[in-house]
Amino acid sequence: MAGHHEEHSSHAHGEHSHSDRFYWLVAGVLAVVTALEVGLFIVNEQHLIAKWLEVTLLLILSTIKGAAVVMFFMHLKGDAGIFKFVFLVPLAFATTLLLSFMVLFSGHVGIAG
Amino acid sequence: MSESSMTRPHAATAHHTSLGVDNRKLGVWAFIGSETLFFATLITTYFVFAPVNRVRPDFQDPREFLDIELTTVLASILLASSLTMVLALSASRRGDRRWFTTWLLATVGLGLAFIGGQVYEFNHLYHEGLTLSSSLFGTTFFVLTGFHGTHVAIGVIWLLSVFFKVRAYPDSPENAMDVEIAGLYWHFVDLVWVAIFVLVYLI
Repeated sequence: MAGHHEEHSSHAHGEHSHSDRFYWLVAGVLAVVTALEVGLFIVNEQHLIAKWLEVTLLLILSTIKGAAVVMFFMHLKGDAGIFKFVFLVPLAFATTLLLSFMVLFSGHVGIAG
Repeated sequence: MSESSMTRPHAATAHHTSLGVDNRKLGVWAFIGSETLFFATLITTYFVFAPVNRVRPDFQDPREFLDIELTTVLASILLASSLTMVLALSASRRGDRRWFTTWLLATVGLGLAFIGGQVYEFNHLYHEGLTLSSSLFGTTFFVLTGFHGTHVAIGVIWLLSVFFKVRAYPDSPENAMDVEIAGLYWHFVDLVWVAIFVLVYLI
């Protein structure tokens, strides 16, 4: 009975909980990635690398940050599949929306009259 | 066996759906999914109107107005608040009231610091001549970041209400779930700023 209760409690709290030390480690990685983003922006004010490369690197770094927040702080990694479904499907749709409009209207100046 | 201990398991399962998950948590994840689309629409609008802004007579250059130093501090504050939030959840699950209180109130404090920083930024931009109606950049920028700031303010109110509700027994299944779903919302607000920081301020 006690074992069943512990099993239920573990499921209710998420079997994917981590130690506090792990959360500090994730936060440290997020801080480093943020520093890299800002460093890249400041350094490339001298136009040392191509703009498309800077944008690509910034998007990769921010994706790493976002994924870490979702997987470890929001505990989506290892959580029930239905939670992933109701978040990742809108996220995929939102990304498609953004990319589609960028393709359609990038450089287009007539939309607002 | 006391009455309270007999009713506790029932209370713990009262919110479970036929999917085997807590319906409140499922609702918050669905809400976060809809919020993802909401902010994606605002970010898309910002980018669609950016080239239009450049050719209009009231053109205002984002690079002349946006302060990367202040925004980096704001981004760091929100990232730190995500850490304190997850530490508050961890403390609540193990029944550590002292650290639960410390980390949750630290999260609230960092949220208030972010709002204060954004108010400072908006006030500074206003005096520089960037307003909601001064240009397309001003309109899309203030609508996007203003809605985000509003979400932070709502998050602070939500966290405070959860704190006063659960502070006596933060480790009960009901209360721990309250902390968890408030935390989900708070991390999402941080997640949106991760996107805004790069897409609006750095690119």
